[in-house]
Amino acid sequence: MTLSTQRHMPLLLAAGIAASVCIQPAAAQTVVTQWDQFAMAGITAAGPAMDELITTCAPDLNGATVLRTIAPSIGIRDSYRLAVSANKTPDLAYTWPAASVLAGYARVGALAPLDDYYEQYGWEGINGFYRGRNGFQGALYGVPMEQDLMGVYYNPALFKENGIAVPTTYAEFQAAVEAFKAKGITPIAFGNRDRWPATNTLSLLLGLTAGKDVEETVLFGDTPWANDQFKLAAETFQSWAENGYFPKGFNGIGYDEANALFLSGRAAMTITGTWVLQDMARGASFDLGVFMLPPIADGVAPGTMWGEGSQWQVSANASQDVKDAAAAYINCLISPASREVWVEKGYLVPIGTTPQELEQWDALPIVKSFYTQGLATPDTNFYDLHTTVPESVTQVLYAELQRMVGGDATADEFLSAMDVAWQKAIDNGERWVP
Amino acid sequence: MLTTRSAYLFLLPSLALYLLFVGLPILQVFGFSFFAWDNGIAGEFIGLANYSRLLSDAVFWTALWHNGIWVVLTLAFPLLAGLVIAAILADRNANVVRWLGAVYFIPRTIPLVVAGIIWGWIYNPIFGLLNFGLEAVGLGGLGGAWLAQESTALLSLNVVGAWTFFGFCVIIYLAAIQSIDPALYEAASIDGASWWRKFRDLTVPLLRGSTLFLGLYAAIEAMRFFDLVWVTTQGGPGYATEVLTTHIYKTFFLVGDFGYAATLSVVLLIIVLAISAGAFTLLRKP
Repeated sequence: MTLSTQRHMPLLLAAGIAASVCIQPAAAQTVVTQWDQFAMAGITAAGPAMDELITTCAPDLNGATVLRTIAPSIGIRDSYRLAVSANKTPDLAYTWPAASVLAGYARVGALAPLDDYYEQYGWEGINGFYRGRNGFQGALYGVPMEQDLMGVYYNPALFKENGIAVPTTYAEFQAAVEAFKAKGITPIAFGNRDRWPATNTLSLLLGLTAGKDVEETVLFGDTPWANDQFKLAAETFQSWAENGYFPKGFNGIGYDEANALFLSGRAAMTITGTWVLQDMARGASFDLGVFMLPPIADGVAPGTMWGEGSQWQVSANASQDVKDAAAAYINCLISPASREVWVEKGYLVPIGTTPQELEQWDALPIVKSFYTQGLATPDTNFYDLHTTVPESVTQVLYAELQRMVGGDATADEFLSAMDVAWQKAIDNGERWVP
Repeated sequence: MLTTRSAYLFLLPSLALYLLFVGLPILQVFGFSFFAWDNGIAGEFIGLANYSRLLSDAVFWTALWHNGIWVVLTLAFPLLAGLVIAAILADRNANVVRWLGAVYFIPRTIPLVVAGIIWGWIYNPIFGLLNFGLEAVGLGGLGGAWLAQESTALLSLNVVGAWTFFGFCVIIYLAAIQSIDPALYEAASIDGASWWRKFRDLTVPLLRGSTLFLGLYAAIEAMRFFDLVWVTTQGGPGYATEVLTTHIYKTFFLVGDFGYAATLSVVLLIIVLAISAGAFTLLRKP
């Protein structure tokens, strides 16, 4: 290596890094800066699909170019908040959490309203439910894309070896868990060291004990968290922990470690969502199965936790040219042709995709199975707490759930703590109502 | 000729940089604490409202208590063990002292994030080395989910903190002991003093300065440590390992309440400055 090359190495490295994220030469007049969470592994690992679609959608940008930065799925949440505070948000971002957090950014004026683009491009695939989740005070601020669902991944080989059938009722589910326990097999791989996984589990249990309608009276009405149905959900979660449904020390086990426990065949099931389908499909050494957890309380309809999790959002600071280019680009990303790429290359099913389309496309059987089951109950599917409560409540939820599931607080104490945090959020104007 | 005035002029650039990069941000944080913030955006001036909120913030008091426990435990174990081991090592062959000193110091060279990851694996409930070791020697019943239980999480983390700090104490004490006039020990030996008597009446009093320095250093570190907790427990389970820095981080980055996070930071700064002032006063005393 010559001295000159050495001297210029930092510059060359910087140029190399820039080239790796630039999709078009930097000489273009309009540049849309994009932050997204589509990595190549881990949560929402739809990187290959994103890479392909940036190229595919380039002609729709009318000469504009996309300058992409990939942020880790978990970390983008914090990075974006800092960007908002510094008034340096990227022109276009795909971030989580959705709904309540998106509304927070709209409340402080960080996001551009997208109503005109909804009208211009006729994004009819995004129905009233999702428009509500991406709206704030009558205006639309996000374009949801990824359909999140929660379900029970299971190891069919383990079920078969032990003569256990896939449960269709909650009693059968409990019996299956007891059967695995009796065989010395961990029934459900669950790790909550990262604090957030228990919130998803509780979201699922709330829907299956309280149902969507009761949830709405709490989340958008005046019913307190300390109600009988929510208490049943909390007690159910706690009883699972106490009765050995989870591995010992689950509060000290990471989310990835729990998934690895399941994928290695040492646990029969794991309860999580479609956001990790990519890793599950790639990591399983067995034929992966999925089923929906049956209703827990009498009279509650079958359903599952769903939502969009993340969404495309445009910065209020972007120039009109950039906003127009970003909207055209989003329009391409959510088009039927692109949806097929998301499904086939990213194992990510965009909102509006039908089971029939999934059947026709080259999707993995586990993807088809998950979405066919999860989308079969659109009227009774229920809310994801991460995207429904504001961040101040989420932080209380994380800690209080760890305490309750860990046996350090009762269900009543947990619900009381939630009511206090909830009331504070309402008093501060943080509550989001679709 | 170098005058006092010119000496101050030479200091001026570094002072300016200090004010720019330390003084100004501290003032800025102090200013933030008087405003309401929403998602990182400053709102209305609210005076001392953030400070009065401290009184009813149970997480703040829990975190402060945990910091206090950490200070006491850190002062108690690494300092005491470091002192005793340094005193024992001081009488040994110089090569042994050098070799063992280096071995004890190794954990200090490991970044706390890495130490946290290593010990996270050691404590892991599924594949952790600690539980495996206990089982191997027939003490499996003592095994547990060390970082997952409220009763053991903070103490287990403190063991990691002690592990990383202990070697530093040994090295500082060793250097200090080696600077004590050997004639004092010879005189004590002639008078028939035992090893313990010499340790108690000579070594410990003469190491007062080093002990104060290490105590001050440990106390300040105990108030501001963050990385070890964040990579292992994020303050959990529940609030069992919550400390002021993790509470500040969550309030700032996760909730976006910059005003209250600034208030917590100001309180932390005041505590650290108070500890420093107290320790420096003690250090100045003959």
